[in-house]
Amino acid sequence: MTDDFRERARSWLAANAPRRSSSEDDAESAGSAERVRTGIAEQQEFQARLYDAGFVGITWPKEYGGQGLTNAEQIAFSAEAREYELPVGAFVIGIGMPGPTILECGNEQQKKRYLPKMLRGEEIWCQLFSEPGAGSDVASLQASAVRDGDTWVLNGQKVWTSGAQYSDFGAVLARTDPAQPKHKGISMFIVDMHAPGVTVRPLRVATGHAPFNEVFFDNVRLAPDALIGEENRGWDAAVVMLRNERIAIGTMTQPRSSPLAYDSLRKLADRLGRAGDQGVRRELASLYAREQSVHLLGQLIREDAMAGRFPGPRGSVIKLAGAELGRYATQVAADVLGPQVAAADSDDVRAVQISIVAVPGGAIAGGTNEIQRNIIGERMLGLAKDPGVDRNTPFNQLRVGTQRSAKESS
Amino acid sequence: MTLILTQDEESLRDSVRRFVADRSPLTKLRDLIGSGQPYDADVWKQLSAQLGLAGLIVDEEHGGAAAGLSALSVALYELGAGLVASPLLASTLAAAALGSLGDQAASGALLPGLASGELIGTVAWQPAVTVAATASTAAGGCTLAGQLSPVLNGAQAHFLLVPANGPDGLGLYQVAGDAHGLTSEPLTAVDHARSLATVRLDGTPAVRLTGDAAAALAHVADVANLALAAEQCGAMAACIAMTSEYAKIRVAFGQPIGAFQAVKHKLADMQTGWELAYAALRAAARSGDETPGQFSAAASVARVMVSEPYFEAAADTIQLHGGIGFTWEHDAHLYYKNALSGKVLFGGPQDQLDRLAATLGM
Ligand SMILES: Cc1cc2nc3c(=O)[nH]c(=O)nc-3n(C[C@H](O)[C@H](O)[C@H](O)COP(=O)(O)OP(=O)(O)OC[C@H]3O[C@@H](n4cnc5c(N)ncnc54)[C@H](O)[C@@H]3O)c2cc1C
Repeated sequence: MTDDFRERARSWLAANAPRRSSSEDDAESAGSAERVRTGIAEQQEFQARLYDAGFVGITWPKEYGGQGLTNAEQIAFSAEAREYELPVGAFVIGIGMPGPTILECGNEQQKKRYLPKMLRGEEIWCQLFSEPGAGSDVASLQASAVRDGDTWVLNGQKVWTSGAQYSDFGAVLARTDPAQPKHKGISMFIVDMHAPGVTVRPLRVATGHAPFNEVFFDNVRLAPDALIGEENRGWDAAVVMLRNERIAIGTMTQPRSSPLAYDSLRKLADRLGRAGDQGVRRELASLYAREQSVHLLGQLIREDAMAGRFPGPRGSVIKLAGAELGRYATQVAADVLGPQVAAADSDDVRAVQISIVAVPGGAIAGGTNEIQRNIIGERMLGLAKDPGVDRNTPFNQLRVGTQRSAKESS
Repeated sequence: MTLILTQDEESLRDSVRRFVADRSPLTKLRDLIGSGQPYDADVWKQLSAQLGLAGLIVDEEHGGAAAGLSALSVALYELGAGLVASPLLASTLAAAALGSLGDQAASGALLPGLASGELIGTVAWQPAVTVAATASTAAGGCTLAGQLSPVLNGAQAHFLLVPANGPDGLGLYQVAGDAHGLTSEPLTAVDHARSLATVRLDGTPAVRLTGDAAAALAHVADVANLALAAEQCGAMAACIAMTSEYAKIRVAFGQPIGAFQAVKHKLADMQTGWELAYAALRAAARSGDETPGQFSAAASVARVMVSEPYFEAAADTIQLHGGIGFTWEHDAHLYYKNALSGKVLFGGPQDQLDRLAATLGM
């Protein structure tokens, strides 16, 4: 059964998937799998074909556009897809984060309306959590949604929103009751990114690309069915989304051809005549071991889920491990390339260079390494929680982000 | 290839775990240190005969369970977690060598004893160390000369498999533990759970085994990597459990020390290292049974992913316990010593990377 599926995936990919997209695009994938330049229309065209062939939403229920299959098929597909760089970066966020959250917390109408189009790439989604004053401590967010009849009016600013510039919808967290302690007065909504009052401004990152944005909401009227889950219980939905995010990022199958992957660096070392150097050989072997292990841990987590042992905070382990792998790969790349890493003279070296610059983003996006370590320590190992001095104070009396005092902002 | 344990493997794990808790808790190791014995004979009898662990990778024809390398790794994981001293690793490697060689007579004579635990065997060899023994043939038969060190359970083995260079090139030779001209001298092992010796051969009668000696040694190195990775992964988990438990109950500056991020984050890194090592271990174990062509690389990966992280975790176990962790009475040093020894035996970290690089064609 799985073998048939795998065989079908292999031959479909061989016939339809591009082997390698341009090196310029790779650079951004370390942080958030964005491939803006491939062209959104092209990505949508490919996603639709991938979906029609039955390889999107593999484990999702059939009634919401999924394939209704198991993790075994998902593992098989991911293994085959590793040989390619699929031009599907624009859909990774929607399918990895808001999608599973709507599946788990959304109502029937929302699931039917949004999920199938999300899977087929007809509608692109982004995640609007972080704000200038609230990142790791996202529950300190200040964007507000005020009820008006049967809808809400949204105001505030989001930041670092990947893909907002081409998204159709976003999952946004906003405060609906500022008199409650910070975790208690938040709600999660679906916002139409084309609605009046939404302004998206691209932000450039260290690599020079602009994969993420700042987003302003100025009296944006939300749809009556916009609320995901219950009013003022948005933190529960946020926790679901963040959990899915870590697993999505952590188990994201890194194509073998990524510039910082073992295969690529090994080829470069051979080409530059560096593979004979014992230090370089050992580092490449070590990179291979680490890369394999992250990949295998992703498989193990999926198998465990299939056997009824759900990943929970283990997503933080693989997210952290992936970020640390990236950091190690930069060291190996620098040793393979030597001075060339500072001054590239070819496309493949340039791709490595950009990827190295992109690596730090991977240790921040989706929750920083420090936050993952807190989660592992507290929720896996059961260590004492951070005292959380602000947990019970009404939000409107708190100081957040880089504010000097609560009064100045209110 | 499925990484998670099968039901059979889960029940094997549970019974070995129960056995370790009931029959061979860490206090047993402390008794051994006092007595000077390399291992507890009763524990060994129960391990081998009752639980059948000595025959896990021996085929049924020779009295084994033919349960495979994955089952072996599951058992060794639990024994490693409990630092159970036994000649299981030595005998298992001897069985692996015999299995690979396929010498009918030697297999028939030795494997049933290994499988039942009545015979203890060892392979007198460390990967990445040049073969030190030479073989010569005279009228009376074949003899070996040379010095081998360190040999796992070299002082207790009923027979040794010795690689030696002779007139026909490299061969694997069978030598009786009480053979003429063989002297073995116990070494001061840093790890109380591991018995090592220097073995000297001088005109010692030996039998050359048929089969591909180089391939057999390569297989021994792979099985040793898997076996040590399994033991170390279990021991690393024990360190993490011990340390996170302590971090919950030890209070300083008005809060449990686990609330301090310097402590919490170190433990989180230990846990992350363990998860990666465990995934690599499962893949190596399955590969040994299902995809032999990839076993060597997978076993190296597992060993690379656990040996050093376990050593670091054992050192941090002492560190995060503070003064009490550095005392003789505390168990932390037992793991620290075990980690040190396991890191360098059968190919240290750099040797492993060289081996892996070679397997990957570099
Ligand atoms: C490439 C990229 C893409 C992103 N995409 C999105 C997106 O699509 N949608 C979205 O909503 N957000 C997105 N983000 C934002 C990301 O989630 C935040 O940047 C991240 O959570 C950190 O928040 P911050 O930037 O406010 O840093 P801060 O929270 O201010 O952190 C600053 C430093 O303090 C440390 N720190 C904070 N709290 C603790 C603590 N309790 N213990 C120990 N250390 C702590 C952090 O680890 C960090 O080192 C993206 C970020 C990047 C880099």
